[in-house]
Amino acid sequence: MSREFHPLVKQLLDGERTLSELPPELQAEGAEALRLLEAVDRRDVTFSSRLEARVMREVRQRVAARRNRANSDPVLWRWLTAPSVPPWVVGAVLAAAGIALVLGRPGSGNGPAMVAPATAVIPESVYVKFLLFAPAAKRVALAGTFNRWDPGTTPLVRLGDDGVWTVTLGLPVGQHQYAFVVDGQRWVVDPAAPAVDDGFGRKNSVVSVSAAQGRVL
Amino acid sequence: MPAALAGAVTVLLDSAAARKLPGAPLVDKALEGVAKGAPAERILVAVRTVFAQLDAAATVLGETGSASADAVEAGAFALAAGLAASDIAEIARIADRAHPAATALQVAGTLTALGVPRAETVALVRTTIRSGRPVGDLVSLPGQVQAAMAGGSPPAAAAAGLERAAAAHLAPRPRGKGKGQGNPHKP
Amino acid sequence: MQAVLAGDVEQYAVLVRRYQDRYARYAARMLGSVDAAEDAVQDALVRAYDQLARCRDPDNFAGWFFLILRNRCFAERRRDQRYAGLDGAPDVPAKENSEISLERAERARGIERALQNLTPEQREVFVLKHMEELSYEEIAGRIGTTVAALKMRMHRAYDRLRELLEEMR
Repeated sequence: MSREFHPLVKQLLDGERTLSELPPELQAEGAEALRLLEAVDRRDVTFSSRLEARVMREVRQRVAARRNRANSDPVLWRWLTAPSVPPWVVGAVLAAAGIALVLGRPGSGNGPAMVAPATAVIPESVYVKFLLFAPAAKRVALAGTFNRWDPGTTPLVRLGDDGVWTVTLGLPVGQHQYAFVVDGQRWVVDPAAPAVDDGFGRKNSVVSVSAAQGRVL
Repeated sequence: MPAALAGAVTVLLDSAAARKLPGAPLVDKALEGVAKGAPAERILVAVRTVFAQLDAAATVLGETGSASADAVEAGAFALAAGLAASDIAEIARIADRAHPAATALQVAGTLTALGVPRAETVALVRTTIRSGRPVGDLVSLPGQVQAAMAGGSPPAAAAAGLERAAAAHLAPRPRGKGKGQGNPHKP
Repeated sequence: MQAVLAGDVEQYAVLVRRYQDRYARYAARMLGSVDAAEDAVQDALVRAYDQLARCRDPDNFAGWFFLILRNRCFAERRRDQRYAGLDGAPDVPAKENSEISLERAERARGIERALQNLTPEQREVFVLKHMEELSYEEIAGRIGTTVAALKMRMHRAYDRLRELLEEMR
């Protein structure tokens, strides 16, 4: 059954009293406390010169990275530069640049994907069309790694009266995750795309974009 | 993003930078959690999971010498999709200059996300690369599997079928048994 | 430090050399391992470089770097606590001093183990006062709290250490 140190002994430990100032009945406890302190390992710890080498290597890399990028924060560079093209701009841009639209529905059978990437407009992006059949929805938006998961930036528009919603975006080459947001609150995966666990109890859809082939799932 | 969460994510970003892991996937996951209205604790768990996946991928890929940021992200994606570290290692070993590890891992992860089991995924990627086909063929594998699935095949069978087709190009086969061992290309 | 701010990255090596061991013992005792401490100091030095531009008081690099390292140590503890309780005896510093008797080394290891079972805040005040030999006032100034709060923490730590050491017997 352990007891707490007497408050006077704690003052001893704090260096505010000496052992001789303690009453006789506390001498033993005081001595025990001092033995505890005395046994503490106070040896120096030193690190090898490897540490300096490693630190300097990283620091030099950062400096080199900063010189190559307008934005000085390399970690945020990717999503800061992900383009998100509003739908009403797409038509004009395409017409002006004479660039083909890449269809985003593999296996749909209706016509081949036209494959010219949008090199003239946004060098590393390819236009990809997203479609969702949601006849009862009042609004549908797209959120994903390419627009910082902000559904407000990428609404879909209704295509005719059949309940199909669509948007076309320029996406950077690479792989992205996304989902549709129906009526501002219901997160829905793309039934035409592969899905992965999102870590929040739902799934995200995956889209891969290659410079040569556009959307490749 | 709430300040406490941003602080915790910043610590993870620093650790990621120290280990030369890409940090953008961590930021993405945090933003995703906020957008989806998840509680901060859950978001942090999800971001830490991404960190662990990036770390695991970097460790495995480091040993095979393929640890570019793209490859690490792709490896983490493959792990998240359901492949094992040993699968990542194998795919990285099979990858070559024409079929970089990042691409191969992206494809493998996507195949797994479609429902193709691990063994069939790795076999299909391996055979496609070894058959010397252009990287575009590798990249279009998920689309082909999905098309076969739309036709009624389960994912495993779809992948196995594609693998057999690719394997047929791996080595020239003698034309039928016992019909002579002559080289069919010789006049 | 002004040279580093002005853009001469190699000057940072001077700062690194000067400060890399200064808080080595603190980090090692906080994290319970010299290897973990080396990682933490490395991270903190790189992070300090990143934030050099934000260091408002170039003459106080030491205090500012200490805070970066401290945050890193506390963050590391939080992460480790998720996985498991502290199992196994943490390593004592690698530098073996043959003048320390076996019995004393044994007791030192016992206290080290007990220290690792304090809360990080308790361990910190103990390390800073009894290993780094700072006064309560100095500690309060460094980590931004009051002497009264520190004493309360420390006195709780004393009792907890006594409890843990008795359990180990």
